[in-house]
Amino acid sequence: MSAPVTSPAGAPQDGSAPVPDAAPDEGDRSARVGPAVGRGRRRAARWLTVGLGVALAVLTVVSGMTGQVPVSPAEVLGSLAHHLGLDWGPMPSHPQGENALWVVRFPRVVLAIVVGAALACSGALMQGVFGNPLAEPGVIGVSSGAAVGACAVIVTAGALVPGTWVAAAAFLGGLVTTFVVYALARAGGRTEVVTLVLTGIAVNAFAGGMLAFFTFVADPAAREQIVFWQLGSLGGATWKSVSIVLPIAAVGVTGAMLVRRRMDLLALGERAAQHLGVDVERLRQLVIVLVALLVSAGVAFTGIIAFVGLVVPHLVRMVCGPSHRTLIPASVLGGAVVLLAADLLARNAVANVELPLGMITSLVGGPFFFYLLRRTRSRQGGWA
Amino acid sequence: MPHAARSALPPGTPAPGSTSSPRATGTGPARPRRVGTALAGAGAVVLLGLVAACSPLPYEPPATPAAQPGQDAEPVDEAPAEPTAPGAPACTTLEASRAAGGGSDVDPATFPTGPTTATFADDAIHPIADAPTPRLPVTVESADGRQVEVTDVSRIIPVDLYGTLGETVYSLGLGDNVVGRDLPTGFPEAADVPVVTGAGHALDVEAILGLDPSVILTDATILTDDVRGQLESSGIPVVYFDGARTLEGIDDRIRAVATALGVPEQGEALVERTDRQICAALSAVPKETGRPRVAFLYVRGSAIKMLFGPGSGADDLIHEIGGEDAGTAIGLTQEYAPVTSEAIITAAPDAYLVMTTGLESMGGLDAMMAIPGLAQTPAGAARRVVDMDGSRLLTFGPRTGSTIASLVEAFYGVPAPELPVS
Repeated sequence: MSAPVTSPAGAPQDGSAPVPDAAPDEGDRSARVGPAVGRGRRRAARWLTVGLGVALAVLTVVSGMTGQVPVSPAEVLGSLAHHLGLDWGPMPSHPQGENALWVVRFPRVVLAIVVGAALACSGALMQGVFGNPLAEPGVIGVSSGAAVGACAVIVTAGALVPGTWVAAAAFLGGLVTTFVVYALARAGGRTEVVTLVLTGIAVNAFAGGMLAFFTFVADPAAREQIVFWQLGSLGGATWKSVSIVLPIAAVGVTGAMLVRRRMDLLALGERAAQHLGVDVERLRQLVIVLVALLVSAGVAFTGIIAFVGLVVPHLVRMVCGPSHRTLIPASVLGGAVVLLAADLLARNAVANVELPLGMITSLVGGPFFFYLLRRTRSRQGGWA
Repeated sequence: MPHAARSALPPGTPAPGSTSSPRATGTGPARPRRVGTALAGAGAVVLLGLVAACSPLPYEPPATPAAQPGQDAEPVDEAPAEPTAPGAPACTTLEASRAAGGGSDVDPATFPTGPTTATFADDAIHPIADAPTPRLPVTVESADGRQVEVTDVSRIIPVDLYGTLGETVYSLGLGDNVVGRDLPTGFPEAADVPVVTGAGHALDVEAILGLDPSVILTDATILTDDVRGQLESSGIPVVYFDGARTLEGIDDRIRAVATALGVPEQGEALVERTDRQICAALSAVPKETGRPRVAFLYVRGSAIKMLFGPGSGADDLIHEIGGEDAGTAIGLTQEYAPVTSEAIITAAPDAYLVMTTGLESMGGLDAMMAIPGLAQTPAGAARRVVDMDGSRLLTFGPRTGSTIASLVEAFYGVPAPELPVS
């Protein structure tokens, strides 16, 4: 991370560094960047947001129409209209079509959107607060920490434990892990990439040991739930899980939107932010709580879904630069799009079969991570 | 349960692995960016390859509806009464049983609805002989092609995933010689025998060797390649049997076990009795079952839903009691698969068949029906769930007759027929 800070702030396509090129309300920096670049990026940001919004809408409709139970697009719209009180369009002709839509498919689509948004938003926030482009819930072990919390409850309270308890335990585990990683990886007001990644390895290893221990002591039913936690899946989505995850994610995303300006100031460096009137310590603590909220929303009912929080913010930065003003909302939309697409694949790629969602995101995200490493190496000599 | 058929026990010794690809040795760091792009491209190709390679692995297109004889035959009529060897009863399949005039007259309207637990009136082992004297030594061909000489059967360890081999040894009358067992071989006669499988259905080699067995009987349902090598190098005779669990394979497995233990006559007698019991059980299947579509499910948590399909043995049982296997019906081509909620809705089963312990671990019927997709079927609407002791369901050993009788009673409310025990 140290390298990108010294590079010219407006270096075009400097996608990997969460440094704001130009917060327009700051005279000295935008002067260096030049108005053309700033305007271009703002336009790109607008188009990206609109494009992602359209993609999300289209993908939502496609997801609602795709599945093993045959329901035609017109019937999906008809069923939706009837639920809104309009006697319009045909109802599903399959005897269980209505149930398939409202009991199975729609909760799953909604959960995919919420979880994807929460994960991508947590990734963007985390990269900002660590000042480090590789921070991601899965990479630095926060997801594993949340999983440890959830599995501890599953093992002690049995496989029939209420979902709210699991979500609460995941939140606690995520919060503790985020603080631990933050405390361990930070030295002299900075978080070096190597330290952060190595901390992630250590945290993941410890969490892996805890999960192995829980797997060992668990009865078979709890054991399978633990395995499922590590695979990640939206297969168990219900309105009840949506009703728990949605408020948590909503709080987290709203909080992220409120602090995004100050996140940009923080990216200038601690001292600069302090001089600009930001209470750095309080901001950090707030963001860490937000991250833990978002991660727990992202894993509570779906298990560990890695790399969404890494890939999405990076892609957004490549298009419209690192300013959090656009990064946060675009990541929220992008995360929803990515996870919705991945889940569409997970439940339809092989007929009748549920592919593990975490497997798909990791298969895509792992190579992308590798690509990021190579790209940064070739452009900036790598992350020291 | 879904650990079955892990190692395929290939004939001979394949020694897999060791195919390291010796490429990409001299590509210097010429141009990082190009390398990066190439890597990204390679990643995409690998990913595509993975997806392409994975998708046909679980499922081939459902064009091949599992070449199972008699699977699609009409239940009642046109079942050819095939001439069988004299002595063997020609009624060990539902078709043959019905052709021979079997089948009970029950009004389908009286079939039970709602949840039912399949029970066993007689859960005891009935040995076909009382401690028969084996004729040893014998040399038998193991299922992997090796010739194994068995000289002593005073300390037998029969282990597999389902308890089939243990049940067979006890039924042959050699139960007193068994020194180690698997968990499903848990009937009262064997309860005091030490268990040699650890957690997760794995064989504990040290526990096995510590019991100093004179012969080990096992099969591919529980073996791993490592354990296999360790057992074989111990010098103890190890005999493998066919790992498939089907109705068809019962007789041959009993014969093979009896031959390996030097009691072939008792084996023949046990085969004959097992067939008669299956016949008696099948003759109780109602003439009109309405072909209920049955889904054999293994559910853990709300996100893991395994549906059994062709080759799992469950399809066999469901077919023989006059039902239709839901997994086969929706085109599954493997023994079991993690299915989506919508696949279960599409399968639209009339009844669920589950293991009793599985139902309990889910938290009972209400918790099971709360899982997305399970309540949205005819079976879910009627809460038609039949549960059965998992150690009896897929065993396919000498007590299969009573398993079928119990299923017939649970599904159709027919009193379980009296099975011949001698």
